Amino acid sequence: MVKKRVPDWLNSSLWSASPSATEDDRLQRYDSKPSTPTPPSPVAPPVPEPPPAVVQEEPPKPEPKESVNNVHDASSDDSAEDISRQAQLLAELSKKVINVRELRRLASQGIPDGAGIRSTVWKLLLGYLPTDRGHWSSELAKKRSQYKHFKEELLMNPSEITRRLGKSTSPDDEPKSEGSGMLSRSEITHGEHPLSLGKTSIWNQFFQDTEIIEQIDRDVKRTHPDMNFFSGDTPSAKTNQDALRNILIVFAKLNPGIRYVQGMNEILAPLFYVFKNDPDEENAASAEADTFFCFVELLSGFRDHFCQQLDNSVVGIRSTITRLSQLLKEHDGELWRHLEITTKVNPQFYAFRWITLLLTQEFNFADSLHIWDTLLSDPEGPQETLLRICCAMLILVRRRLLAGDFTSNLKLLQNYPSTNISHLLYVANKLRAQSTG
Amino acid sequence: MALYLKFTRRRECLWKDLKKMVLVLALGDLHIPHRAPDLPPKFKSMLVPGKIQHIICTGNLCIKEVHDYLKSLCPDMHVTRGEYDEDSRYLETKTLTIGQFKLGVCHGHQVIPWGDLDSLAMLQRQLDVDILVTGHTHQFKAYKHEGGVVINPGSATGAYSSITYDVNPSFVLMDIDGLRVVVYVYELIDGEVKVDKIDFKKTATTNSAH
Repeated sequence: MVKKRVPDWLNSSLWSASPSATEDDRLQRYDSKPSTPTPPSPVAPPVPEPPPAVVQEEPPKPEPKESVNNVHDASSDDSAEDISRQAQLLAELSKKVINVRELRRLASQGIPDGAGIRSTVWKLLLGYLPTDRGHWSSELAKKRSQYKHFKEELLMNPSEITRRLGKSTSPDDEPKSEGSGMLSRSEITHGEHPLSLGKTSIWNQFFQDTEIIEQIDRDVKRTHPDMNFFSGDTPSAKTNQDALRNILIVFAKLNPGIRYVQGMNEILAPLFYVFKNDPDEENAASAEADTFFCFVELLSGFRDHFCQQLDNSVVGIRSTITRLSQLLKEHDGELWRHLEITTKVNPQFYAFRWITLLLTQEFNFADSLHIWDTLLSDPEGPQETLLRICCAMLILVRRRLLAGDFTSNLKLLQNYPSTNISHLLYVANKLRAQSTG
Repeated sequence: MALYLKFTRRRECLWKDLKKMVLVLALGDLHIPHRAPDLPPKFKSMLVPGKIQHIICTGNLCIKEVHDYLKSLCPDMHVTRGEYDEDSRYLETKTLTIGQFKLGVCHGHQVIPWGDLDSLAMLQRQLDVDILVTGHTHQFKAYKHEGGVVINPGSATGAYSSITYDVNPSFVLMDIDGLRVVVYVYELIDGEVKVDKIDFKKTATTNSAH
């Protein structure tokens, strides 16, 4: 059943993507929600610190703010709603056994930057931390030592491996340190020598891995060149880059089926950033290990997008892009027709990067953290949520798309304009209600 | 720093470790085209670019094509002059430092008696190196004396020498890691590649050769 008319809620003036409105909104990280659908939830549940009696919508203050590098500044124009949500999140986190459903519900509305809880919330949402608080320290210790073990095993070059093996088999290392004579020749074990071409040879595997390691190195150096955290000459940037590199190398070695694909560094970066900036020092120090496991977990749902052989299969990237296309067709047939048929903008041209990199390249860093809050917390799962958000992105610029031709539409979608993230997530949320209702 | 780290059993594995490995190929006395047409195919299949960091060549290549081929395996190449080399610009002896080791190269036809280990030891002391790589006899040798170690990689093509026709093709690959060297000896015996290894350490003293 194809809807001929544009649905009413889309016609509302809220969705005009005129530059002036979005500019003001963009300058704040936390804009107040549009007045019509005020969620009643912050007022209902008992909260230790009662919010002000009426949830007042504060007018957006167009003060310029540095969005990227000061993610942890407490925003002075947090609406009361944000404060109450923060309080609720803190309350939920301090319970002995955390109710993950409640946490998801709260987190999907956005995690306040100032509270420093994003790291813990993400770890809970990704299933890294167990829900029972009492088990946290033992779980963390176990996982962190496991990662350390991985690194020791996998990041050793074959020269060192043979030396360690040699030491264990022949403890007598000094047969004749004095005197002269012909040096004795010994047999090599398992045909292991540096020029070996055997498939099981550690040397051969090492040289084959060198290519991947170089690729990882290049990508890590190129990650977020505008952020001091990741790039530059400071020792901290170098340590962070080393951590990213180690994680990706360990992942590539543990997953020979998928190894490393360009783009994984972009998915890794926000995770590591959030965990490294954890206010708790111990957590920040073990950020590398924590990030590794959370990265594996996050990637598990999206692995198939990175596997080239699966491109055309039911689980591959093409099929996901088709699903996005279907979603758009369902919710906004006019736009779909205009894009796919009239202007022939193949969704692969823009949606490929949106989907494989989980929207990290389309918005600035702070905004993408906010989007990931919703992505990770939505009970429908990150794959479905991602598609809804992409669909919402298309709908929000529908006026410009409908007026444009192939070139201008492609240009617009490949350089998606800054937008109010709360708006975007609200629309995405609405899309869910529409399809079930 | 490097010494201390070597002796602790478990240390934080760093990205730099992966890059630290140094492989040095030592070969010579190929005598292409006069006495042999080419390297044995089994050797050629193993020698691929990208694995080796340095090449040391004792001499008697003899022509430019061989030089270019070896250069394609590794850009860092050190050659000394053998009596049949057509390029007269090669030096008679050469010294270089790789990691903690000082290596010396000389073809060996200048040292008389040919292949005499004591005379070679004298040359080594003269050059003041830990490892002397020399050739000319077309016989693999690895000999240790107070001054250091002498390695003769033999002839990589199995070309006949001034002394004998019975020569097995051979060459040497050294894995230099800190104060320890593992020497892998590759020989072609009866059509099969045989690999052995030799392990030795340099004592950590300030004097290079003692």
